[in-house]
Amino acid sequence: MRFFDPHIHMVSRTTDDYQNMAAAGIRAVIEPAFWMGQPRTNVGSFVDYFATLVGWERFRASQFGIAHYCTIGVNSKEANNEGLAREALELLPHFALKEGVVAIGEIGYDEITPAEEWVYQHQLQFAVDHDMVVMVHSPHRDKKNGIIRSIDVAREIGVPMEKLVIDHNNEETVQAVLDAGAWAAFTIYPNTKMGSERMVEIVRQYGPDRLIVDSSADWGVSDPLSVPKTAHLMQERGIEQSAIELTCWQNAIDAYAQSGQIDVDELMRDPVIDQSQSFSDNSVLRGQQPRIDEPVQN
Amino acid sequence: MSQSITNTLETLLAPRLADTALAFWQKSRDELTAGVSTHRFAALIALASRHAKRTPLELSPEEIDAIAELGVSIDMRGWNLLELLRVGLITARCDLNEVSFAEDFEAQFVYADEGETCALYRALALLPAGERFVWRAGEGCRTNMNNVFATIALDTPYPVQHFDDTAWNQLVMKSLFLELPLWRVLGLDNRRSQDLTRMVLDFAEERESAGRAINNGLWLCLGPHDNERTSALALRAWAAANSGQHAAIVLGLARCNLVAVAEQLGADSIDTSVTSALQAAQNGQTDNIHFAQLTADNSETQA
Repeated sequence: MRFFDPHIHMVSRTTDDYQNMAAAGIRAVIEPAFWMGQPRTNVGSFVDYFATLVGWERFRASQFGIAHYCTIGVNSKEANNEGLAREALELLPHFALKEGVVAIGEIGYDEITPAEEWVYQHQLQFAVDHDMVVMVHSPHRDKKNGIIRSIDVAREIGVPMEKLVIDHNNEETVQAVLDAGAWAAFTIYPNTKMGSERMVEIVRQYGPDRLIVDSSADWGVSDPLSVPKTAHLMQERGIEQSAIELTCWQNAIDAYAQSGQIDVDELMRDPVIDQSQSFSDNSVLRGQQPRIDEPVQN
Repeated sequence: MSQSITNTLETLLAPRLADTALAFWQKSRDELTAGVSTHRFAALIALASRHAKRTPLELSPEEIDAIAELGVSIDMRGWNLLELLRVGLITARCDLNEVSFAEDFEAQFVYADEGETCALYRALALLPAGERFVWRAGEGCRTNMNNVFATIALDTPYPVQHFDDTAWNQLVMKSLFLELPLWRVLGLDNRRSQDLTRMVLDFAEERESAGRAINNGLWLCLGPHDNERTSALALRAWAAANSGQHAAIVLGLARCNLVAVAEQLGADSIDTSVTSALQAAQNGQTDNIHFAQLTADNSETQA
C-alpha cells in the first residue's frame, strides 16, 4: 500500500524517520507551517522557517523518495503576538504562492481571542484572493465551538467548503465538519488526540468520504508511522480496501491537488532516489555511499 | 510595598544560602536598589544559578505566616530556592513602578532560559501595577513547557486578578487538559461562569467519546449554569468511578447547588470518603481546599 501523510512536521524529525516512513509506504507528505514549540521573537525567524519548508526540507524528503509539499501560514498561537504576527503576515505573498505550497495553513484558533480571529480572517482573505486551499488547525480547548466558528468565519469570507480542511477532529466534531461540506482530517497522535482504534470506528461509522488520516508528528511524543499503522489496523478490522485507500491516500490528494501544486501523475510513479544530489552544496549524506536508483523506463 | 516584599524574601533566603551566596544576594540587592543597566540586570538574574540550586524551600509555618502578611495571597510552597533568589533580585529593583522596569522585565523573557522563565513568571504576583504584564502572562500560558505554565496557573492570584474571561477560561481549560491540580488555581471558587461550564462539559464529553477517564479536578470547574448536563454527566460517570472519584463528583455537584443529586447518588455508599464528602457537601464545605486530596498532581512543583 502507498500512503500520504498530509500533516507532519518533518523539520522536527530525523533521517531515520524518513527511512522508516519510506519503507512503510509513505510516498508523500504535507508539512504545515506551525510554531516551533516555543514562541518566535522576531520576523526573521519566520523567514528562515518558511524558506526551510519550501527549500531544504523538500530536498531532504526527496532524498528518501518522499514528495514533500507544505502549507504556509501564521499559526494561531503566535497570532497573539500582534506586532510580530502582522510582520509575519507580510511574508505570505513571498512564500505562499511557491511551487508545492498546497494550502494556507495551519491557521485557525487556539484560545479564540480577537487577535487570533484577525489573523485568521486576514489569511482566509489571502486564500480567497489567490484561490487557495485552507488547512485549519482546531483548538485543543473548546474544540467543538472553535471548529464551528472556524467554519462559519471561513464561509463568511468566501472560502468554498470543498477547499476547507479542518484538522484534529474527533468523535464530537466530525459530523459538524461533514455537514458543512468541508474535509475532516484526523490526527493519530497518542494521548491528546485520536488513537488508531478510534479512527477505525469513525471510518466504519461515517464512511470514507472526505475523511483524511494524518499523524501531525512533530517535536512531541508522536509517531510518523501513524498513517500506515492506522491503515493496517483498518485492514485487520475489516474496513474495505477502497475506504483505506481513500482515507490514507486519495482524499488528501483530492483535497490538496485543488491547489494546482501537486503533480498527480508524477506522484503516481515510483520515486527515483538520487542521493548524490545536493542542496546549496549540502547533502544528507555523511560519508555514506549515495543511493542512486535507475530511472523508470517510459 | 516592594520594600516589604524584598525584606520578606530576604528573611526566607538568608537561612537557606551559603555564605558566598548570601554575599552575592546582599551585594546584588544593593546594586539593584541603586539602579542597574539592562545588561547588568540580566547578568544578575543569570548568575543567580551559581549561588542557588533548585532545592525545595520547605517553608516553616512561621515563614508561611510571614508570606501571608504580605497580603497578596500567594502560595510559595512550590517555589525552589533559585526562583526565590531570582524573584528577590527582581523585586529589589528601585524602579518597579517605572517604564524602565517594565521594559527590562519584558526583555528578560526574550533571552530567558527555562529556569529563568519560571522565576520571571513567579514574580508577577509580587509586582506593582500588575496589569502592565497581562499580555506577557497570557503569552506564558501558551507555553508548551508544563512547568512554565504551572508557574502562572498555580498558587498565584495573578490570573484571577488580571485575566479577562477568555484568558481565564483558557487557563482553567489548559490546567485541566494538562491534569494539573485544579484546586491550586487560585480564585476558581468564585470565577466559574456559564461559558467555562459549557467548555468543561464539552471537554468531559470529548473524554467520554475517547474512552478516557475524567480528571477529578474537572468537578471543581463547573458552576451552577447547566445543571441538567452536569447531573447527567455525574450519573454517567458514577457507575465506573472509584471512591476518590465519587467524592469529587459529590463535591462538584454541591458546588453547582446540586446537593440533592449528590445525596441520591451517594445514598447507598458505605465508603468513608464518599460519606465524608457528602457531609462536607451538606455543610457547604466545597471550596478548592476540599479537593486537595482528590486531585492528581502532575505539576513539577508539589505543594
